[in-house]
Amino acid sequence: MTVELMSPIPMCRVFAMLFVGIVVGSGMGLIGTATRAFGEDNKPTDDPSRKFFEQYCHTCHAALKPKGDFRVESLSQDFADKANREKWLKVVEQLKTGTMPPKGKPRPSANEAKALIDWIEGRVAATEIVRNAAQGRAVMRRLNQAEYQNTVRDLLGVELELKDLLPDDTVVGGFDTSTETLHMSSYQLNGYLAAANRVLDAAVAGGPRPTHVNRRFDMKAATRRQGVSRELDEGVAIFASDLASNIQTVLWSFLTRDRGQYRFRISAYAYQSEKPVMFHVNGGNSNLGDPPYLIGHFEVPPGEPTVIEFVEQLEVGKNIRILVDTEVRANTLQRSDVENYKGPGVVFQWVEIEGPLLDSWPPPSYRLLFGNMPQTPAPDNSNRREVVSQQPVADAEAILRKFTRRAFRRTVTNEDVKPFLDRVQTKLNEGYSFERALRVGLKSVLVSPDFLFLRENIRRADNSGLPDNTKLPAALDEFSLASRLSYFLWSSMPDEELIRLAEREKLSQPQTLREQVERMLRDPKAKAFTENFAGQWLGLRNIDATLPDRQLYPEYDDILRSAMLKEVYLFFAEVLRDDMSLTNFVSSDFSIINSRLATHYGIPGIEGLEFRKISLPTSSHRGGVMTMAAIMKVTANGTTTSPIVRGAWVLDRILGTPPPRPPANVEAVEPDIRGATTIRNQLAKHRQVESCAVCHVSIDPPGFALENFDVIGGWREHYRSIGSGEPVTVNGKRMRYKNGPAVDAGDVLPDGRQFQTVEEYKNLLLSDKDQLARALAEKLLTYATGTPPTIADRPHIESILESVRGKNYGFRSLVQEVVQSEVFQNK
Amino acid sequence: MRISRRQILRAAGVSLALPWLDAFAPTTARGADAADPPRRLICICAPLGLYPGNFFPTATGKSYELSPYLELLNEYRDDFTVISGLAGISGGHQAIDGFLTGIPGAGQPAIRNGISVDQFAAEQISAKTRFPSLALSGEGLGLSWTRTGARVPAHNSPSRLFAEMFLEGQENEVRAQLQNLEEGRSILDDVRDQARSLRSKLGTDDREKLEEYLSSVRELEQRLVTDEKWVKTPKPKVNVEPPQDISNRSDLIGRTRLLFDLAHLAVQTDSTRLITIMLAGATSAPPIPGVNQGHHDLSHHGKDPGKLAQLQLIEVECMKVLGELVAKLKQSQEQGETLLDRTTVYLGSNLGDASSHSNKNLPVLVAGGGFRHGNHLAFDPQNPPPLCNLYVSMLQRLGIETDKFNTGSSTLNGLEFKPS
Repeated sequence: MTVELMSPIPMCRVFAMLFVGIVVGSGMGLIGTATRAFGEDNKPTDDPSRKFFEQYCHTCHAALKPKGDFRVESLSQDFADKANREKWLKVVEQLKTGTMPPKGKPRPSANEAKALIDWIEGRVAATEIVRNAAQGRAVMRRLNQAEYQNTVRDLLGVELELKDLLPDDTVVGGFDTSTETLHMSSYQLNGYLAAANRVLDAAVAGGPRPTHVNRRFDMKAATRRQGVSRELDEGVAIFASDLASNIQTVLWSFLTRDRGQYRFRISAYAYQSEKPVMFHVNGGNSNLGDPPYLIGHFEVPPGEPTVIEFVEQLEVGKNIRILVDTEVRANTLQRSDVENYKGPGVVFQWVEIEGPLLDSWPPPSYRLLFGNMPQTPAPDNSNRREVVSQQPVADAEAILRKFTRRAFRRTVTNEDVKPFLDRVQTKLNEGYSFERALRVGLKSVLVSPDFLFLRENIRRADNSGLPDNTKLPAALDEFSLASRLSYFLWSSMPDEELIRLAEREKLSQPQTLREQVERMLRDPKAKAFTENFAGQWLGLRNIDATLPDRQLYPEYDDILRSAMLKEVYLFFAEVLRDDMSLTNFVSSDFSIINSRLATHYGIPGIEGLEFRKISLPTSSHRGGVMTMAAIMKVTANGTTTSPIVRGAWVLDRILGTPPPRPPANVEAVEPDIRGATTIRNQLAKHRQVESCAVCHVSIDPPGFALENFDVIGGWREHYRSIGSGEPVTVNGKRMRYKNGPAVDAGDVLPDGRQFQTVEEYKNLLLSDKDQLARALAEKLLTYATGTPPTIADRPHIESILESVRGKNYGFRSLVQEVVQSEVFQNK
Repeated sequence: MRISRRQILRAAGVSLALPWLDAFAPTTARGADAADPPRRLICICAPLGLYPGNFFPTATGKSYELSPYLELLNEYRDDFTVISGLAGISGGHQAIDGFLTGIPGAGQPAIRNGISVDQFAAEQISAKTRFPSLALSGEGLGLSWTRTGARVPAHNSPSRLFAEMFLEGQENEVRAQLQNLEEGRSILDDVRDQARSLRSKLGTDDREKLEEYLSSVRELEQRLVTDEKWVKTPKPKVNVEPPQDISNRSDLIGRTRLLFDLAHLAVQTDSTRLITIMLAGATSAPPIPGVNQGHHDLSHHGKDPGKLAQLQLIEVECMKVLGELVAKLKQSQEQGETLLDRTTVYLGSNLGDASSHSNKNLPVLVAGGGFRHGNHLAFDPQNPPPLCNLYVSMLQRLGIETDKFNTGSSTLNGLEFKPS
């Protein structure tokens, strides 16, 4: 499905909001200096609710038929009751958004409302602190799809695609580590059974050694679509491709029979061009209806053929397709005379494919499971081989003990191993061979709750079973800490070193933890942190939610798409690696780009598709993540940009002060693309309505600051229009869009500070570094613990800030301090 | 007339089966008798809405004048009811998660989705068919949700689903399948015991998560038992060519047609009685003459006449394919009744007006199923009954005795059963 994933923020029309100060001061997330302990000054005797309710709520929310099915009497003083607590928080939400009491009824003053909000939040916090001390704040959750896949990779030593077997996780706005959204179902469980089969097949590797393929494919023999290529003596010149219309060169004569790494060599050169020409290679199944995936972008210069070489992991039944990235549209070319076409293309001569590249057979995964145990031909006369044992029960026990310890990410007891061993024993008695019986046991481990769930335990003082409150309230035990750390930074299970440290009860020592974080971030597995944390924090997974309108944005293509994503990931990784200040996410003097992005950004002098760190010229208007093309793309809808959507994005992702959810009864503002009016004019109208303005005075300004960036993150001084406007010519070509009204990026913040440009806005953001750090710390903790910080966690977040303030807000330091924090180390 | 690539594909696929329908060996529904005929439900969602100006008739009641889109189903006027004014879900595009659950705000943070109407029905009538239910999707995610709030994975490949429904596996494949089912059951036995002993070690919130796991184990156990029965039962034979998946990702009408054809075959062979279909909402321009912008893009028409004209071209094609499905069901007989009379076909959307992401006044069309039709049932958009009331009606029509479903607390006023 390709509907938009962003939440459009409608304009409020209906509801008045009286207390601006509250919305800005405490209504948005966790702003404010909340270092004091909660609960002290909020004794029930101060309860302002009774009076408040009588005065403002009773008329409608009492008696037998209360409005909205809500009676204030249904709120009890029992804050330990979760449902009751949530009801109180609903009241807070209503008060903060100003939805209730409704317009036209007697309404409280800002001070009255604030007093009630403070009282409710204080009671909730006090209760949460007690609850968290007893059973922790984070609720048990299952592994998500990425974590499952990485975990079996590290557990069994097999690199496998399992996406087709495991249902997609439902992610709602935040991270896929969220306890709230990771549900279990019979479909999910059935998927785990099927995945376990595939994983074990690959790990046990009972088949014969895969045949080593080493072939050269002549491009003249490949199937091509009509009208986009021309055959030459030296090869085939391809001028245009179009994935959506299936205009691509599929190497049909190659289809992998075995999973593994394959080496590709492609001989090609640019044709009818003085500059290098780009192309890309996709992988996919023999069924063209299945979505393909990108293997890589390449470019070749004219002249002597260049040989492009790369190695790619492929599943069984995969082939590759080649698509050239030229400017001419495939179906335009198909309607003209391709034999005499003079535009640029790529001449392909041949593709060499070698693989699967294996060091040994059976592969290392076999030894990981079975050590040096021998294989013999399987009893069923197939061409499989099976591992055999002289002492099946003893061997099964040893294998299962070793396996469960790693799969459960903790030491295991006899009781842990027994059910699996019993099952193997039963199967052996039924006449199963050793390997088949053992596989049932292993499969059982892979669907057991101890494997599938991140079950975090509270540290026990001794064998009494009572929590060790001397250290921290609800502190994680060593193994749970190891898992939390490794799923945080690797999205995978702890390795042997972490498990050993946990066994020796050394991991929780602050210095050890710091060393481990450093070690883990240096490990290639830390790539998962960049992909999964940054990818979701910044919403990059939505990059394909919409496709830019071709008429308005003809320059958008697949290379630009990949390049814009890569820039963000590389930038994030760089800031992390060098412990640069997290303010770089708002504003930086460098970025990491290639020639395609440089063209897009109007930065001269960058040649070649490889990415490199560059100093940004001041004229580029770039620096920081907000103005990167990928971010501008995921906050637009393909045709237009909305300051409301972008403003809400900045408030949530960068400032950590997400605006309240829009009232249910209002529709979104629809930008006009006919060139008749600008979004500013449209929004101006609704900012004059007091009831709307009260929220939008905060939401719109950051959005306007980004108005100079179009749907694909290009710089614009005028909106592109498909209606009225001046004609536009690019590189001598007349565009189908016109120059619409001029962009105005200036606005004023709720506190009166003004800005004219995005640079000025960024400077205003940088004036409160604490808030930027607080926002990011909250995101990191949400991702790491699967649970967003609540009121009760505020003091701990403030301690994190204290620690990074002296370190120039270094991002790596922030990650370190997050790990050192109580919120991270408590369940 | 120029023959399009899609038509050629169709000719090769199942669509041409229409004239041969009589040649089907009629697969009578198992355990069916005339007194208790099998009843089915097909729920279809157009995720980008249907332009209200072209969908809704202006007049109400029996003698309403067909709207431009309904005009395309003119022939079946007495076989469907068009309903306006319904609401109950919220969240713009995200409300898609609540389309069949009716949970307001589903798809947004902190709101847990409920069970979808098809899965609710499957809990009671699933064992009678090879597939308890089928979730189909034109492009990705499906519409169905479990009681635990998890999305049911959807079938995206018509060719693979066709093989699962109608092509017998090799003998050794079947043997391996049976062995897997048997092993699966013993494994579930073991892990259930482990989960139970784990329960005592957990805090209350953790325990809730474990309960989800345990109920999933229970459901899967039951399913593996019925699966085993079905693996041993020969698959129904159909006299059609297996469909080929369409590689052109923007060909949303072609993709929709393949899914509808499969839905018809599944109902006809009584392979399942509950089907949900998410239609494709491609972002690139579909191969329809006169259309050069993506469907999603066009749905944000902003009242631009050029965009509206193109949007209409797409939606007209969509309505026509729906008409084909209705026609096929009407032409297929079962025990002297048409399949249409036993199959409720529900076309709707999570969006009332895609251009502004409104979830009010949802477009709803209910065909067949044995309801009294030929009516424009108009509710007051200012004070609408919940969408779930419609679902209560559909559940009762399936023979399920319930007067509640999520936010629905009665049947939908005015949607009556046809006297039998």
